[in-house]
Amino acid sequence: MINLILLFPLIACVILFLFKNKLLNNLMINLYAVIHFVVSLAYCLNYDFLPMWQPNRFFAVDGTNRIFLMVMSIVFLAVAVYNNGYVNKETSLTKKLRHYTYMFLFFVFSMTGAILSTNLGISWVFIEGTTLASAYLIYFHKTKHSIEAAWKYVFICSIGIALAFVGIILLTVATGNLNSLFYTDLYNNAQLFNHFWLQLSFVFILFGIGTKMGLAPVHFWLPDAHAEAPSPISALLSATLLNSAFLVILNVFRIMILSGCDSYGRIMLFVMGFLSLFITAVFVYHINNYKRMLAYSSIENMGILAIGTALGGVGMLAAIIHLIGHSLIKASFFLTSGNILEIYGTKKIKSVTGLLKTDRKTGWLWILSFVGIAAFPPSVLFISEFLMVKTLFMQKQFILAAIFLLLLTIVIYGLGKAVIKMSFSETSGEIEPVKLSWTMYLPQMIMLIIAFIIGVYMPKSVTGMLLMAVVGF
Amino acid sequence: MENIFIILLGLSMIYIAATSRLAAHINMLIAQGWLLFFVCLLGFAQEPWFNWHMISGMQSIIDNMPHIIGFMFVIVETLIVKAFVIPLFLKKVLRRTNAHRDTEANIPHFYCLFISSIILFAGFLIANINIPEMKLVEPMYFGVSIAIIITSLWLITIKHKVLSNVIGFITMENGIFLLSLSVAKEMPIIVNLGVLLDIFIAVFILGMLVKEINNEFDDLEVSQLSDLKDYEYND
Repeated sequence: MINLILLFPLIACVILFLFKNKLLNNLMINLYAVIHFVVSLAYCLNYDFLPMWQPNRFFAVDGTNRIFLMVMSIVFLAVAVYNNGYVNKETSLTKKLRHYTYMFLFFVFSMTGAILSTNLGISWVFIEGTTLASAYLIYFHKTKHSIEAAWKYVFICSIGIALAFVGIILLTVATGNLNSLFYTDLYNNAQLFNHFWLQLSFVFILFGIGTKMGLAPVHFWLPDAHAEAPSPISALLSATLLNSAFLVILNVFRIMILSGCDSYGRIMLFVMGFLSLFITAVFVYHINNYKRMLAYSSIENMGILAIGTALGGVGMLAAIIHLIGHSLIKASFFLTSGNILEIYGTKKIKSVTGLLKTDRKTGWLWILSFVGIAAFPPSVLFISEFLMVKTLFMQKQFILAAIFLLLLTIVIYGLGKAVIKMSFSETSGEIEPVKLSWTMYLPQMIMLIIAFIIGVYMPKSVTGMLLMAVVGF
Repeated sequence: MENIFIILLGLSMIYIAATSRLAAHINMLIAQGWLLFFVCLLGFAQEPWFNWHMISGMQSIIDNMPHIIGFMFVIVETLIVKAFVIPLFLKKVLRRTNAHRDTEANIPHFYCLFISSIILFAGFLIANINIPEMKLVEPMYFGVSIAIIITSLWLITIKHKVLSNVIGFITMENGIFLLSLSVAKEMPIIVNLGVLLDIFIAVFILGMLVKEINNEFDDLEVSQLSDLKDYEYND
């Protein structure tokens, strides 16, 4: 089944290239989304409907990356549905649309490859592939700002990922006689590794892949790229790309745990996590572009994931729950911001007034997404953040817990101020009513409903999957 | 013998730091490609299987297939891509954009020369540190490659033209290639291929973006690319 989701986008690109039909563009993206969803659902239910077609040893599904794959599938399906309504409004040029589709498919393909790969080197190749594929997507509008964002994105991420490759080379030094980069080999021989080189390599890999994940202090590309990309792409960047980079860091961190120098890695993750929270808290307050605001919120949430990983145990479980919640809610937040951009034609918070009166559905989606991301109780993020604070208390880190809560409160205040102002204020001036298709409302609703339902009731099977994902951390 | 080429690689970085003509930088990239090729060639020459006998007959070619593929790959990577395709592409971009000099660097050239020499010297010092961990790598390769990577990163921060930043990125990749040679182990060929492809496409995309920047903005200065801010944002 892995072969199916890895080969389909390539075949789809060939078909698109051969038959330059306009209708095929959206069809291919939707078809891939459905196939992606069906395959990951089958993996979650442990049902292999293509037993004859086994993948090669470079790709596999295990307990941890199954969750990432499932989250990615849901978000991708939602974005694909949204994209149907969005793209037609955005451009009528067939050629531009076709390039968009190629790159869209490649982008999802490389993220899937990064999540599924069982070899650190292959993961690296795919992570760099995501940068290259999404560069065009960020540059899609071809304005001065989008060039600037794309340039910063490609340049900063390429350098970061090149440094991660230095880390991989140093890791091969640490492995001694072992000549393999397969995760299983690395895990099995982790106790024999040279600690000096391993710690050095972790620094490079954390900073390198952390650039891609958007952890402070190497997050600079993130607000620009997320703000300038078309909204479906922003949603994908924030909700799936950052996760796939996080998975690589998790895999390397597992090597650190198995080789017994995890305390060192935990300190680094703690520092980067709290720095991300701090940076967001400082910057989110004064922002006047709502897409940038959401991008900063992504940095904050990646920081929370890093803190959860550093805590280990229940904290790690909380991090995985947080990842699921953040992906669903942030994707719906970004997609809704696309609606606002369509209606008002501006990204300025100041210019958006009376959202609820102008478009009721978009307004409520905007508010509910905020309620979700701010971790108010029905949201699943409440559970994860609560568990994280609880773990901090249990590890007797009272000061850190206080800082954590304080920074989160500042961020919620910053976000809330903007969201409430945009939604509930009086409309100023006449805004031309824009008719948006139903596909631009439904995906957000479904993702928010999932996020709120698993916040209240988590089925036993899901809990089991989550527990399997965090074994060993 | 290969130490001579490695030292020349380090010196080429000093030259890049001390000149402002972009065409000279690109010529240095060609030189670095050739130097890396010679370093690899000397590495291969020490292998027992590396002689004319290896391609003397069908049977020996089949026996030595993995070695031959590895060797061909190195030729493609160093000579064709690093010394030929990428510099040629950059020269084309240079001609299109008419940005021949990177004059207004933040630091005068004399200081650039001085600082990059110190970094290279520090690299040699690293190569001579006597700790047991260093026995796992080839010290000379390791020290100089670290010096090249650090010099490139530093040059990226001080240079003003976007094209010089791309050149800094490529020299950094060359440094990483040298670093990977310092480890006696080989990566699987598929990983190597992927890495090469990624770097190649990255340079290609950066080159395309340079052209776009040239079309949209008045000048190829990095300082032009600072309009996206948190405050006073206009869109």
